[in-house]
Amino acid sequence: MSLAIIGIAELPTKRDPERTRWDMLSDVCMDAIRDAGIDKDDVEAVISVNPMAQAQMALDMALGRVPEVLGLKGCKDICVLNSGGTSTTNCLRLAKYFIDNKQARFVLIPHTTVQSDIPTEDLINFFATAPLDPQWEYPYGVTFNGAMGLITNRYMHDTGATAEQMASVTVSLRGWGALDPNSIFYGKPVTLEDVLESRMISTPLHAKECNFLADGAGAMIVTSHEIAQELGRPAAYELGHGVRFTGATPVLREDPYFIKAYRESSQDALAEAGLSIDDMDLRQIYGAYPFTQCSALEGYGVCEFGEAAAIWAEGRCGPGGDLPCTSMGDATGRGHTGSGVSMAFYLDTVRQLRGEAGERQVADCNHALITTSGGSVMNACTTIFGSAPR
Amino acid sequence: MSDYRKPLPQIQPFSEAFWEGTRNNKLLVQTCSDCDARIFFPRRQCPECWSTNLGWTEASGKAEIYAFSVTYEGVEAVFREDLPIVLAWVDLPEGIRMQTNIIECDPDAIEIGQQVEVVFRKVTDEITLPYFRPVQ
Ligand SMILES: [Zn+2]
Repeated sequence: MSLAIIGIAELPTKRDPERTRWDMLSDVCMDAIRDAGIDKDDVEAVISVNPMAQAQMALDMALGRVPEVLGLKGCKDICVLNSGGTSTTNCLRLAKYFIDNKQARFVLIPHTTVQSDIPTEDLINFFATAPLDPQWEYPYGVTFNGAMGLITNRYMHDTGATAEQMASVTVSLRGWGALDPNSIFYGKPVTLEDVLESRMISTPLHAKECNFLADGAGAMIVTSHEIAQELGRPAAYELGHGVRFTGATPVLREDPYFIKAYRESSQDALAEAGLSIDDMDLRQIYGAYPFTQCSALEGYGVCEFGEAAAIWAEGRCGPGGDLPCTSMGDATGRGHTGSGVSMAFYLDTVRQLRGEAGERQVADCNHALITTSGGSVMNACTTIFGSAPR
Repeated sequence: MSDYRKPLPQIQPFSEAFWEGTRNNKLLVQTCSDCDARIFFPRRQCPECWSTNLGWTEASGKAEIYAFSVTYEGVEAVFREDLPIVLAWVDLPEGIRMQTNIIECDPDAIEIGQQVEVVFRKVTDEITLPYFRPVQ
């Protein structure tokens, strides 16, 4: 039972409607195959990340156009998977099944999203209706930002975290993004004042603490541990995986900050890997809103409940800190590419483990924990990756 | 014809009684007659025991704010006239937590733990929405 990521490619996050979905998809698929050092006809399955709010592209992927366009003559089957922000995680899980069962030696997992050609009103409507209940939430003017504002407000009430401490999370995330050529905020760090003085969207969330919708594309090639070692190329080896569901509707959840989901999914993943949370050199947290960067650390057991915001405020989780977290920048620090955020999280984790993260490189990064989430954090999917097989 | 343009709740067969209640200025909480669960939002079957032997109990209309967020922008055009919108999760003593808006209030003065009471707003002939306002 093993999975290794041996090829990656990504296009910089931007808002550029001149880049078409298919151009971007073709570029990253070809680059990922080249990066893996394999031939295009070695790809035996294509498992695509469902592109959200882009019905035609989702259908094209579901009905088999990707291997046809790329001329993948060895492709045995295709699939498109959708669980919002955890779609990429599902792709990895199905790829593992194909690989473990010798159905495929190499699987291509692509993603493409263009949101800059979708009218703003349509995007607001999509993100207000997709994860929210049409009968009990939507008539009250709930938006994604509003739902997360509700939780953040209560989180600050329960933990005593201050507005400055919460804003410091965004400062650190943007700090990572400012060093990352794939971030829409490359070269654009922000200060505490920039965050706190940006427009109030849904209290306590300022504009810079909310998501900026953008376009992006990424792809990866996965194979087995054994084949990755035979190829002798730098790879990210999956060592353990754990998941927990929290619930679809924010107001109904008994665990509003997902502490239990973060704790139990990480414990399962770490147990499978035979490692402890203290063995992790990097923690990558996809929650899309800053409070999740805090509650995840509390769930993992890195610190006690109520301590994480102060840790972020000390700069320990940002670039150069002793507890590096989310070097990918999360959606807040990189731009929100729909279901592509989780793709970018895995790609950045591979870069860190291969020592290819440039100015953001975490020193001696050999073990990384990554948690992805779908919907409004309906689930927590935690995976441990290493720079070598166990 | 109503000139209400905002999204209306999509009523389901098993939630008809709830919306009939609000039309009569009553806030109803769905209950399970077999396991005594208090259910929000209303379902076809009890999520605890799958019983379809469900009933309704009238709420006192009192509630306490568990969480709130004041939205200033980022809503669909039809909601813009209402900005700022005070979103809230309120806990009812009858044992449920529901999504609502706090209205007839100073948005800057809203606090977690504040006592609120239900207020009904008829928006169409069919739909009366339950909101909450601070207890004076
Ligand atoms: Zn029951």
